[in-house]
Formats: sequence, structure tokens, C-alpha cells
Amino acid sequence: MSSITVFKARNIITMDRNRPQATHVAVREGRILAVGGVDCADQWGAVSHDDSLADTVLMPGFVEGHCHMAETVFWEWAYAGYHDRTDPDGRLWRGKTDIETVIADLRAHLATLPDDAPLIAWGFDPIFLEAERLNRSHLDAVSDTRPVVVLYSSGHLMCVNSPALAAVGYERHSNIEGVMRGSDGEPNGELQEMAAMFPVMRRMGMDTRTRSHRPDHVRAFGRICQRVGVTTATDLFALLTDETAQTLSATTAEPGYPVRVVPAVSTIHSSPEEVRAQIADLARLNHDNLRIGPVKLMTDGSIQGFSARVKWPGYVGGQPNGIWNMAPDEIFATCELMQAAGIQMHIHTNGDEASELVLDALERAARKHPWPGARHVLQHAQMMGPALFARAAEMGVCVNLFANHIWYFGDQHAALTIGEDRAARMDACRAALDAGVHMAIHSDAPVTPMSPLFTAWCAVNRQTMSGRTLGAAQCISVEEALRAITLGAAHTLKMDDEVGSIETGKRADFAVLGDDPTLVDPATLHHVPVLGTMTGGYLNLL
Amino acid sequence: MSDLPRLPLTVIGGYLGAGKTTLLNRLLAEDHGQRVMVMVNDFGAINIDADLIEKAEGDTISLTNGCVCCTMGNDLFMALGDALDRRPRPDHLVVEASGIADPAKIAMAARAEPEMAYGGIAVVVDAVNWPALADDPQIGAQMQGQAAVADMLLVSKATDGLPAGLEARLAALSPAPVVDLATVDAVAPLLLGGITPGAAQAPRRAHPGYVGWAHDGTEVLDRAALEALVAAAPEGVYRIKGKVLGPEGAHELHVVGRTVDIKPTTAARTTLVAIGLDGRVTQGDIADWWRDAVG
Repeated sequence: MSSITVFKARNIITMDRNRPQATHVAVREGRILAVGGVDCADQWGAVSHDDSLADTVLMPGFVEGHCHMAETVFWEWAYAGYHDRTDPDGRLWRGKTDIETVIADLRAHLATLPDDAPLIAWGFDPIFLEAERLNRSHLDAVSDTRPVVVLYSSGHLMCVNSPALAAVGYERHSNIEGVMRGSDGEPNGELQEMAAMFPVMRRMGMDTRTRSHRPDHVRAFGRICQRVGVTTATDLFALLTDETAQTLSATTAEPGYPVRVVPAVSTIHSSPEEVRAQIADLARLNHDNLRIGPVKLMTDGSIQGFSARVKWPGYVGGQPNGIWNMAPDEIFATCELMQAAGIQMHIHTNGDEASELVLDALERAARKHPWPGARHVLQHAQMMGPALFARAAEMGVCVNLFANHIWYFGDQHAALTIGEDRAARMDACRAALDAGVHMAIHSDAPVTPMSPLFTAWCAVNRQTMSGRTLGAAQCISVEEALRAITLGAAHTLKMDDEVGSIETGKRADFAVLGDDPTLVDPATLHHVPVLGTMTGGYLNLL
Repeated sequence: MSDLPRLPLTVIGGYLGAGKTTLLNRLLAEDHGQRVMVMVNDFGAINIDADLIEKAEGDTISLTNGCVCCTMGNDLFMALGDALDRRPRPDHLVVEASGIADPAKIAMAARAEPEMAYGGIAVVVDAVNWPALADDPQIGAQMQGQAAVADMLLVSKATDGLPAGLEARLAALSPAPVVDLATVDAVAPLLLGGITPGAAQAPRRAHPGYVGWAHDGTEVLDRAALEALVAAAPEGVYRIKGKVLGPEGAHELHVVGRTVDIKPTTAARTTLVAIGLDGRVTQGDIADWWRDAVG
């Protein structure tokens, strides 16, 4: 008989309505054997008691339904963003709220690099800086002899210094779209879009394609998750080759690896038929901590990039409607093929026109190939309202709303992108739940930092960076938000039978917290400390 | 910088089903004498003559006259880097853009990357379906955008010459030459250029349907003069490439349609080739242009 360990906690928030709270949980073979009081497992035989978590509060391990393992690659570089951010090893990188701080911090970082290495930084966001645009003279002040590259958080821009410009031969005669110029006619260091950026990336060793599945990066991803209480996480646009899938499989199988990874293979890199064959092949590598199976579709762009497909009346600045990344015909065809093959789809739709079109495509696919348990998920779905949520509910389609956007970009959306009315009902958690849709909320890390308690705080308070409440009518309760980051997200991954609540039979996956999220002031929900996680019975405290 | 010759990049755009793959199949089957690397969305539709295949492994099929590989998405750009790093380096890279993509976003990489040369944007326009697609409320803007950035518009599925209405619509979007693919007997001269600079001393007809012109001299032009000269090239010339001596080092010149790519190089002489469409331009027109321009 395997051993039974009974963990004592200050409180256990189970998300199981049969026993919403408990003080003890019994674990055997990596699963939850019993929940209740000190004697909860006594009927199962001899138990050993572990009181090391007695001062903590346990919740079901959080489930991040939309993030990307590529975040770990960025942490090879220096962080240059506006907000404070913590790296996988727990080091806090302070936010840089003016260009002078960017320069000073990068100069300090340069001193830590080998003599011949270029300085690469990421996460810079000019939208938050009031002063002049970052240009090459700022970065020449960091170094005028070694290449300096600052990637913007949007991924569509970078700024480089003079040595980096020289390395790619950009000069006043270069007639290249995306190589921006100053008033003197010389390139000013700002490079826009991949065509202009890629010659720099190629020379500075910034090929990130499959690096995130190398063992060191997979382990770093585990540490990112562990710091924020996440025990199940997606890699929602995975580029898997046979080789990287094997590495991913081996590394996530290491004893005590702290997170169950759900890669959703991208369909944009190959034909739907090939994706179908690839998934069938790769599924042999799956185990408790690796769940290859679903796919990811990209339909439109982003709202803040004005590339989301939005319905009338469009963007407030009169910008043309966004772009399709897949032609509507392809969306219909791919949805049908995946539905017929029994492959669950996570479908990126930011604008309401994209969400509506995808629902049309899913409806047509469902008529041809009925599959009641498909649980396809609209990812982001930021502009869906009650009518679209009602259709999703009718079809059993789930949504994963981008709650973090409210805080990070809410002010911009009200002022610059879709205007006040529609910004106030973005990421409409209240409407989704009222329509009976299965709902998760997410960070899209590294776009915003992974932290489910912060994401829950956003959905509860809908506070923006300027401090206003954006659309109070769409706020949800703390309990609803905690459900969204546990059982709600588990449902979207078809893992609600295994994770998402603390009840007998489920995996022993817990978030170990320093305070009780149901008792703190909801306005401080995001400040509840995370002490670590338990995954499959392995305790990984920070 | 690498000592290898620059790698020219041609991007094939056009909607799903327009005929991009048919065009690539034609290119691979032609005897163009170049080692071409083709990047496609998926292998499924590519129909490669078994005699051409040397070996197939992973995402690359090696051919006797080049190779075909399958890479798409945001990582396409880093895959361009793989093509540059390939040894031997291919003579020409052809990328099939996805049906909805803006081919200019890819082609711009050839102008930005010091080791690449601009090989142009060829957009395949389906004579039957394009007009409706261009008016589609969902994708019309993207379809028209593809035509607007093209250096050449290649019309497929025209059964009885170019429909007049189509030609007029395309002309309103773009000054690029419009070519009926049914009337040309080789596509390599369109997509690759097909003539090696300096190889042909005497003017010659490259292929029926095309007019070729070659020049070997010692003219010295500064960049501004070269740009002005190219801007005055006769209509109907859709490709000019070669090396031109300059007062501060030579220029490597790649002109496709209206797009001009000039990068620094080394050269002992000024050598140029141009190619145009028979019936729209003559060798004499091109020779006159050059003689008048350089005085």
C-alpha cells in the first residue's frame, strides 16, 4: 500500500461545492484521496501528517489557458518594459518609466555581458512614454561600439544603435520600408516590421523559433508557473518538430516538474491535413505532464495594433478594418476538417467580426460533423457581447477572455481604438457567465505577465492603469474569478475531470498561498502571496 | 559580409486556388539552369517530377535543380536566414506567400537583408474568381492590396485572352505589367530573370515571348544618376539586373517592375541584362534607352 500524507492548511478553498472549504487534504500516489478534517483519510489506512503547510492557504493549482512558453527565450535578454516584472529565477526587474531609466539600466546590464556580446533587450512599450520616441542616439549612449537592440512589446518594432545599423548596412541611401529616418535623412534606429528587423535578428543570434522547447527553457517555464501558482499551462501556438517534441516530453517528465503543459499546435505553419497527421503522431509522447492534442488557429490581429477585424462602426480614428491572418474560406475549411477529425481548436479572435465569423464556421462544421463534446475555445474574444455569447453557449463553445487587457490597455482602447462604449464592455466576463458560457481568463504571457491572481483581480475590479473602473457592469465576483482561473480554465482544456478543484480522485495539484483570496479586500486580490505549488503530490515551494 | 553572391528572392502572392502552385510546378519543370529553392505552404499540392527528386528528408525535398521546403508563418523570416546559410547557396529563392498574406511584407526582406537581392513580387490573379474576391466585404481590401504591391500581375485561368474588364481593374490598382500565363511558354524568365549577367555578349532572344538585352561596358554612374536612369526605362521591361561602376564603388542593381534595389558591390565593368515582354518592347527600344541615358 502506498503511503498517505495528510496536509494541514489554514484553509483549503476547494472549488468543490460539496465541501467548499476544508482544513486537511490527503494525498496518495499524486492524487487527492480525501478532503476534510484531520481524520479525513483515516478510513483508508495508516496516514502520516504533514503540518509544514499549516500556515498556508491551498487552492486548486491555477490553470493558465492562454500563454506561450516563448517567454523563457525573452528572459535570455534584458527586460526594458514599463512595468516591474519578475524573471523565472525570481529576480525583480524594475519597470522603466522614462527613457533615461531605460538607458541607465541597459548600460548597467551591458557591464554584465561578455565583451563581444550584443546587448538585446525586450518588452519596451512606447505607448506609455510621453517623451520623444526612442532613437539610436539614446542607444548609442548605452554603447557606441557594441550592437544594442531593444525589442518593443508589440513584437512589430525594434530600436537599434549605430553599430547595429552598421552591421546590416542600413544608411541614408537605404530605401527600405520600415527603416525609419530622422530629420537629417539618416536611419534613426527605429525598425518596423519583420522584414526590416530580421537582418538584425539574424546577425544578433535572435532566432527564437524552437528554442523554448530546449530543456533549460522548459525548466525555466516551470519556474515561471510555480511562482504564480500555476500547475497547468498551455503553449498556445506551439511549433513542434519531432525533435523538439521529444525534448519537451523528456523534460516535462523529470520528477517534480511543476506544470502540466498543454501545447496547441499552430495550423498556420502547415496544412490542416499535415497538422492532423502530426498530432496523431506526437500524441505518443504524452504523459501526465504533457498533453499534445489541441490546435491553435489565428484568425485576425490585435485591437491595439488596429489589425483586429471589428464590426461597424470600426475604429474611432477611422483606421481601416483589420486583417485576416487566415482567409475566411480557410477558417471555414479548417474548422470543418478539425471538427471531422475530432481535434479541439483554440481559435484566436480579437475583434467581434472575427468572433462572429468563427462562430459561423463552427456552426457549419457542427452541422456536418456533430460532436457535442468538441469544446472549441474562442481565445481573447475581447469584443463579444450577449448575442455572441448566447450563440457560443448554444454550441458548447467556450471563451477565454483577455481580462489583463483591461488594466494594461483599457485606457488606450477607450481613447484610441474602439472608443468608450465598446471599451466599457470589452472582455465581458459578466455577460459571458450570464449567457452560460464556460469561461476562462488569461494573461497571454509574455504579452502580459502570467499571474492568475492578477488576472482574477482584473476581472473583479476592471481597473485601468489610470485608476478608473472600465465598465463596472461587467465586473464579476471574487468567487467567479477564482473559478475562472481554476475549473473554468480546466474545462477549456478538457481537464476538468483531473484538475481545477480539490476533491477526491483529482490530481494533487495545489497553489500554495500566503493569504486567503476569499477573505482579503477584493481590491488587493493580486497581492495575495504565492508561496509555490504542489503538482501531482510534488511540493515546489519558492 | 559574405563573399557569396547575393540571393535573389521572388515572392509569389495570390489567393487560395489562384494558381500559385501550378505556377511553381511549371517553374520546377522548366530547364532554367538555376538551383532554385522554393518555400511553400505545404507539400501536398506541389507536383514534383520523380526524376528531379534526389532525396526527401524532414521538411526539405532536394531536387537535381534545387530544393523545395515547407516553412511558413512568422518564422518565415528566420527561414530566409536558413536559405542564406545553405551551402551551396541557392541561385534563387522563391517563396509562396499564403493566400491572404501581403507579399510586400515578405519581399521587403530582400531589400533590407544585405546578402539578398530583390527578385520581385509576382501576384497570380485568377481571371475567373478575382473580380468577385476583390469586391468581397471580408477580404476585398487584402486582395486589392496584393495587386497594388505587385511588380508583375500574372493572370491564370484566362481561356480567351485577358478579359478587358479585369485588365482595367488591375490597371487602376497598379502600373505593373499584366501577363496572361497561358500565352507565355516559360515562366522562369518572369520569376527568375533567366539570363546570367555578363554571360551573353550579344543581344539574344531568351525565349519566345520574351525580349532579352545585355550590355557590357565601362560607364560610371553615381547612385542618383543610376536611379534616374532606371526610372526612365522603357515600359515593357520588367527586369533589369547587373553591376554598374560608380565613383565610390560599384552598385549591384536589381529592378523588378517599378521596384529598384541598389546595394554596394565590387565590379571591374558595368554589366547589365534586361528582359521584357515581346510585343511590348523591342531590343532596339532597350538599347536606345541605355545609349540615350548614358549619353
